[in-house]
Amino acid sequence: MMQTDWNSLPDEEFREIFRDWVDDNCPSELRYMRKQRPTYEEVKDWYQALSEKGWLSPVWPVEHGGMGLNPAKHMIYVEEWARLGCPRIPDHGIGLVGPLLIQYGTAEQKAEFLPKILSGEHMWCQGYSEPNAGSDLASLRTSAVLEDGHFVVNGQKIWTTLAHCANWIFVLVRTDKEAKPQRGISVLLVDMSLPGVTVRPIANLRGEKDFCEVFFDSVKVPAHRLVGEVNQGWTLAKSVLGHERIFLGAPTRPEYALGRLEKLATSRGAFDDPAFLSRYAKLRLDLYDLGSSFERFAKILRSGGELGADVSMLKIFNTELYQRITEEMLMLAGEESRYNDDLETENGDVDAMNLFLDSRAPAIFGGSNEIQRNILAKAVLGLPG
Amino acid sequence: MPQMVMDDEDGELAMLRDSVAAFAENRPGPKTVRALRGDHRDMDTAQWTEMAEAGWLGLMLPEELGGAGLGIRHQAIISEALGRALIPSPMTTASVLSSLLLAAAPDSAERSRLAEGLIAGSAIVVPAIEANGHLVRLNGRREGNVIRLDGHIEFVEAAHSATDFIVLAEVDGKTLLLSLPSDCTGLSRADKEGVEGTPLSILVLEGCRVAPEKCLIDGADAKTVAKAIDLARVAASAELSGIASRAFEMAREYTVNRVQFGKPIASFQVIQHRLVDLWSEAEMAAAAVVNAIEFLEGEDEKASRLAVLAAKARASDAASLIARRAIHLYGAMGFTDESDIGLYLKRAINLGGMLGQAEQLRRQFVIEERAA
Repeated sequence: MMQTDWNSLPDEEFREIFRDWVDDNCPSELRYMRKQRPTYEEVKDWYQALSEKGWLSPVWPVEHGGMGLNPAKHMIYVEEWARLGCPRIPDHGIGLVGPLLIQYGTAEQKAEFLPKILSGEHMWCQGYSEPNAGSDLASLRTSAVLEDGHFVVNGQKIWTTLAHCANWIFVLVRTDKEAKPQRGISVLLVDMSLPGVTVRPIANLRGEKDFCEVFFDSVKVPAHRLVGEVNQGWTLAKSVLGHERIFLGAPTRPEYALGRLEKLATSRGAFDDPAFLSRYAKLRLDLYDLGSSFERFAKILRSGGELGADVSMLKIFNTELYQRITEEMLMLAGEESRYNDDLETENGDVDAMNLFLDSRAPAIFGGSNEIQRNILAKAVLGLPG
Repeated sequence: MPQMVMDDEDGELAMLRDSVAAFAENRPGPKTVRALRGDHRDMDTAQWTEMAEAGWLGLMLPEELGGAGLGIRHQAIISEALGRALIPSPMTTASVLSSLLLAAAPDSAERSRLAEGLIAGSAIVVPAIEANGHLVRLNGRREGNVIRLDGHIEFVEAAHSATDFIVLAEVDGKTLLLSLPSDCTGLSRADKEGVEGTPLSILVLEGCRVAPEKCLIDGADAKTVAKAIDLARVAASAELSGIASRAFEMAREYTVNRVQFGKPIASFQVIQHRLVDLWSEAEMAAAAVVNAIEFLEGEDEKASRLAVLAAKARASDAASLIARRAIHLYGAMGFTDESDIGLYLKRAINLGGMLGQAEQLRRQFVIEERAA
């Protein structure tokens, strides 16, 4: 296949090429899916189309089958993806395992796993949280003991997104119980078909089953499935998300929700109500200003700079705004807020309850907003204690 | 810590910022504020002259009028720094807005006189064209050669010190931009005490007669004036953003130094989270102002209009929210007149109410955006 140096193209040219192709190749029935986390089977055609084109993995280096996009081009990729309403694909392999292996994996690990992520043969999930290790992730207790060339893994993971549709899991395990919590953690790549791995899906507030519990009962994982050095897993796990932290602050969801709110409000004549107009205006301007702040950080990436911890302010504002917009939607719905069903308008249905419930999640995942504030207090504001 | 982040390849913006900071060391803002309100003065004219000497007045006047011909980017840096240092001055009105109105006027002797005086600080040219976020047009009638003006305008700052006012009048169905000498017969003033303790005046015009050569624009179109006001709004927003940033820093410093229960209170999580939220608001305000500046430097008029409305609303609310919360974090000390944090709140309210208040601007944004 002919390789293009995408980074050498002017931004707008790249945007146009990417957008045109996506628009032609992303199946229309998959656009604007209600589901936030569709399974591989549900979006297989889109996954495979990207894979064949070589556009599945925007940031992996070209030699590993990625597009090798710099952060500026990657942002365009993400923006156009969202703008065209393309569904999210199961992306733990592309977004997390790939970068982890490219940075820390052995030559054998790269050769074995990277092509299978690109082909869709391996679907990955991320084994981080445990029942007693959520925000305090470093206190995790799933243990791995090296015996005769195998790590024997025992314990439980939870909130493991799409685990029921995955065949591989990368797991944070405790390999040293005596060391300080952060110093005794390792990363293992585990084949989920191994004996002793059990997955139990958990229904979420929206009635969907996209996260799971994963149990490990004396699972024997070959020692060469360790990534990097033993007991260095905490550093590895923290380093895989670089500039991509900015995407937790991308105003995609509040933007979508505000569009729905506007549609509902127009249909219900709410813009004639000065009280509503005032509340709507606050939300509209919060979204607009979030865009200005997002742009401030995007500019740093475009000029080749690196993001600091301060970028987390976007995640907090973004996810809380999403909640406020959907709360307004329910208020506007009046007694219709009792419906699980979508609300009917003359311009199409509005999934008010769906969005309201969905908006509960982003303020929790990816490091709850309280954890984000703790980090900002220390790393950016330099507060004591 | 939070501040407007803009490209500054030749370091010009940083130099401007430093020059205001150096100025503030000799003329601490809070001290000037206290002196003004004690004496019931509307502005510090000696300080204004020094600002003229520093080259900050009429910064946006074009070079053919003797100005520096600089853009809103440079003005915003100065305004932000003045806000941080809480230096009181009618910069937004008597320098920025006046300059922009003069720049929009065709060449005339009166225009040159005002521009020259404005830059030198010898003329204090106060625009009185707007109240409550709307243009105010006086009633005008031609009487032979002169124009007779009647009406009133509220919320005029620096009205005691003004040598000239710039006003709008409706004359025979046309809007005129006029220069009005402050000693004009028929012009009187009623004062209210403003939130900062300095007067805000109501100008009352009863049969003021203005000579035809005082007419700056014969047929001023609303768009030209609106554009000038929008740029002045950005200057006010930058000043508010400076206030927001500094008030946040003060809250941070105070809580880091204040020890209770044997620890700095900034080590408590509840305080930390509040400080993070205030910091975030200050950052949002700075980014909103930069966004408006960048749109104004581009071609898209509608987009820049919306960006200005957003910036003024955001910066006003951020400055006042942060100052309010900072007062609370100071504890009882925050409620004292002796503490400077209260002065920041009052400035935030004062500037926040000027040229359209946040709530009004937000509604305006939505109405204009939806009208498209």
